[in-house]
Amino acid sequence: MRTPRVLAFATTLVVLLGACSSGGGSSPSAASSTGASRAPASAEASAPASQAAKAPIRIGSDDFYESKLMAEIYGQVLEANGYTVERKLGLGTREQRIPIMNAGQVDLVPEYVGSGLGFYDTTKISGDGAKNAAALQTALTAKQQTVLGISPGQDSNAFVVRKDTADTLHLTKMSDLAAVQTQLTWGLPSNCDANPLCSGALKLYGITYPPAKRSALGAGGVPMATALQGKAIDLAELCSTQPAIVQFGFVQLTDDKATQPAENIAPIVRDDYLAKVDKASFQALLDAASAKMTTEELTKLGVEIAVNNKDVVEVAKTWLAAQGLVK
Amino acid sequence: MSDVIAFFLDPANWQGTSGIPNRLLEHLVISGAGILAATLIALPIGLYVGHTGRGAGIAINLANIGRAIPSYAMMVIPLPFTLLLAPVIGYPPDFGLKFLPIFLAMTFLAIPPLLVSTYAGLRSVDRELIEAGRGMGLRERQILARIEIPLASSIIVGGFRTATLQVIATATIGAILAGGGLGRFIFDGLSQGQSGYPSIYAGAILVSGLAIVVDLILSVVQQRLTPRALRKPRVSRPPRGARSTDGSPVPEGSTAR
Repeated sequence: MRTPRVLAFATTLVVLLGACSSGGGSSPSAASSTGASRAPASAEASAPASQAAKAPIRIGSDDFYESKLMAEIYGQVLEANGYTVERKLGLGTREQRIPIMNAGQVDLVPEYVGSGLGFYDTTKISGDGAKNAAALQTALTAKQQTVLGISPGQDSNAFVVRKDTADTLHLTKMSDLAAVQTQLTWGLPSNCDANPLCSGALKLYGITYPPAKRSALGAGGVPMATALQGKAIDLAELCSTQPAIVQFGFVQLTDDKATQPAENIAPIVRDDYLAKVDKASFQALLDAASAKMTTEELTKLGVEIAVNNKDVVEVAKTWLAAQGLVK
Repeated sequence: MSDVIAFFLDPANWQGTSGIPNRLLEHLVISGAGILAATLIALPIGLYVGHTGRGAGIAINLANIGRAIPSYAMMVIPLPFTLLLAPVIGYPPDFGLKFLPIFLAMTFLAIPPLLVSTYAGLRSVDRELIEAGRGMGLRERQILARIEIPLASSIIVGGFRTATLQVIATATIGAILAGGGLGRFIFDGLSQGQSGYPSIYAGAILVSGLAIVVDLILSVVQQRLTPRALRKPRVSRPPRGARSTDGSPVPEGSTAR
C-alpha cells in the first residue's frame, strides 16, 4: 500500500514554486512603473443601476495549483450568485502576473499577503496576516487595487518533522528544537546562510547555525519531503499546505516566535471593477469563502489535486458545496 | 569577471568539504562510478548484439528510452526506493539520498552512447574479414577478440568519450539531492541571488574545464587504440609506424597491416 503512494508522490514532481515565502528574493523595483497610469475609465459611467451591478469579471491566477484553486473557488462563488466569470488562470509567476493585473487585463487574482507584500516592500513583512494585508493595501492603493478579506489558512514556510521524531523528542514547537538540535540532521535550503527567514529565524530559536549535520535541499521541494520520509533528514523546511505533510503524517512545528511571514490568502480586485458593482455584497460573497479556508482545508484540497489528480474545478465545486457556500 | 577571479584566488574556496579540491574529487567519484557501472552493463550487451546481430532492435531502443528520460527525473524517481531500502540493506540513509539516486541516473545516462557505439563499431567491421577469420578456423570468441574488438575499438572509445562528457556535465544536477560535486558551486550560487554569480561562473568553468581535460585524455587513448592502418593520415607528417612500402600514408579503410 505504501510503495504506490511513494511512487505517485515522486512522479507527481510537484514543486510549489512561489507558493511559500522565499524572503528577499523578489524585486521591488520592477512593479512600480507599469499600469498605475491607466485611469479607471468606467468611473463616471458606473452609477450602479441595480441591474448592471453584476458586471462580468475576469479572474486570473498564478501558475500553480493552489493559486488556480483559490481563483476557481472565488469564480464559482461569483457564478453561483449571478456573475459572469472569465477565467485567465495560470498567468505565470508573481513577477509575470502583477504587470498583467496592473495593465487591467484581469480584475481579480488570489494573493498571498506576505509574499505579495514582499514584492513591494520586504521590510514590512511580519508574522501577522492582518498587518501584512494592511501593508499590502497601502502599497496597492496607488495601483487602484483593493485587498479583500484574508483566509485564516496560510501557505507559509513550515519546519516539519516526522511523527516518530516528534513523539520521541517531544517536539511541538520551534522552541523545542534548541535542546535536541545536535541529534537531528537538518534539511535546509542552500541559501539558508544568507536568508534571514532561515538562518536568522533558527538563531532566534537558539539554534547554533550552521548545524553540524545538514543536507542542502530545495525548500518545499519533492526531494526535501522524500528525504524526510526516508529518514535521510530529520527536519525539513516545507510549505505549510504541502500535500506531503498530510500524506506522510509529518508534524508541523509551531512557529511560536512568529519568525515566518504570514501567508494568508486574499483576493485582490481592481478598483475600476469594484466601481461597477455593489462593493459590499461583492466583498461579502468572497470574504465568506475566504473565511472557511483554513490551512488544514487547503492542505486537504492540495492532496486531492496534486496527489489524487482530481480536477481543480471539481475540487473547488465539491468543497464549496460541502461548506454550504454554494447550493 | 574580476569577482570570478577573486573566487578562485580566495584560499577559503580551496579548503575543506566545500573547497574546490574536495568538490572536484566528489564529482570524479560520482561520474566515474556511473560510467564504470554503465560500461559493465553496456559493453557485454553491445558486444553480444554487435557480434551476433541478435536483439539489436530491442537493445538499442531500450537504451534510447534512457536517453528520453530527463536526468532530473531519473534521480528523483528512484529516491523513495533508495531511501526505503537503506534500513533493509543496511547503508546509511544519507548514501541513499546523496549518492545512489545520482549514481543510478548517471549510469542510465551513460548506457545509450556506450551500447550504441559498441554495436555500431562491431557492425562496421568488414564482413569479409570475419569470414576470412572463420575460414582460418578461428572460433567465434577469437573472432570477437582478435578481429572485431580491435577494429571497432576506436568507435567504442568514441562512444565512451560521449558518455563521459555527458555524465561529467550532468552530474552537476546531483546538487539538487544534496549531493556533492562541482554542481554545489552552481546551485548554492543560484540560491543566493546576485551575490551568487561568481560561484555560479566558477562552477561552470570548473565543470567544463574538467570535461575538456578528461576528453583530451580520452582522445589520446582513442588514438592509441586505433589500429595503425585505420588512423587518419596526418597532413603534416605521415604516421611514424606506417609500414607501406613507398612511404606514403596508408589510405583509410585499407586492410594492409
